[in-house]
Amino acid sequence: MTTLYLRDRWFEDLPVGEFHVFGSHTFSELEIVEFAQTFDPRLESTDPEKARDNHSQGLVASPWLITAMWMRKMVDYMEVYAQGVNDGRRNGAGVAINDLQWLEPVRPGHTLTYTYEIIAKPERVIREKWGLIRSRNEAFNQYSNKVMCFDIDILAERRPKNSNDV
Amino acid sequence: MATPSPPSGTLCSETIALDKNAIVAFASRFDPQPYHLDEDAAAQSIFGNLCASGWHIAALATRLVSETLISNELSFVQMISVRQLKWNQPTFMNEEISVRIALGATGEESPIAGTHSQALEVDVCNGDGAVVAKMAVTAAIANDPKLAGTS
Repeated sequence: MTTLYLRDRWFEDLPVGEFHVFGSHTFSELEIVEFAQTFDPRLESTDPEKARDNHSQGLVASPWLITAMWMRKMVDYMEVYAQGVNDGRRNGAGVAINDLQWLEPVRPGHTLTYTYEIIAKPERVIREKWGLIRSRNEAFNQYSNKVMCFDIDILAERRPKNSNDV
Repeated sequence: MATPSPPSGTLCSETIALDKNAIVAFASRFDPQPYHLDEDAAAQSIFGNLCASGWHIAALATRLVSETLISNELSFVQMISVRQLKWNQPTFMNEEISVRIALGATGEESPIAGTHSQALEVDVCNGDGAVVAKMAVTAAIANDPKLAGTS
């Protein structure tokens, strides 16, 4: 049986259409408040009582907490699949995101499931070494409603010429 | 209902300094990759030095945008969408960032009741004035400023 090592593949080996479910996360009141206190100090994300009488009708997560948690779920998922891989850095940094939308409020107790699908491999070579993997990323809540989506371009190392390393 | 006419032109924010503790604290929670956590590992990475998660920069930039808009009497409620966000270069530890906001078109439609939309082009700059990230975003602005409250 072949094990799928996400980080052990060259740009050329990553197929459009590949789909992953990174996992789920249930947001607590405490983490919503703590994140907002540092990054987004609005009543609707920091004060459960005042948020009740606000337009938000209760505490809601900061948009960037929802997106930051995507990053965490992706890293955790990749690390699991990268076990035993010496070079864990073939898939590199994010370069740009497009069409990020927050579609529905996320409240304490809500559980989001994060999904990832490779949708394109733009024809670009960056610093003679990297290609771009474009993925569509979505988060669904416990009612299966989509609450967030975006596309991201992430660097992936191209197979060196004359490389025997598969 | 007519939307209030916004100030025009470009707005500039205060600066936020990013020390190692702040970078590592965010990364430990949300982006635990070696180049955001460990100086030695970062030195050997694509970035060459310990640098902030791009999502950390995006969140801080949004905080600066909200504070700057509110201090210019634009009642920022929430970011609705980001048409594009590009990370041009890393933000290393002990650098500071600020934002420069160009106000774009306003629209009556917004998913949040009692708000209208405001397009913004945001440059995130470091202490040398280099643009480390660019965001093209749409924000919800309260029609009634009393709706937008920070704690």
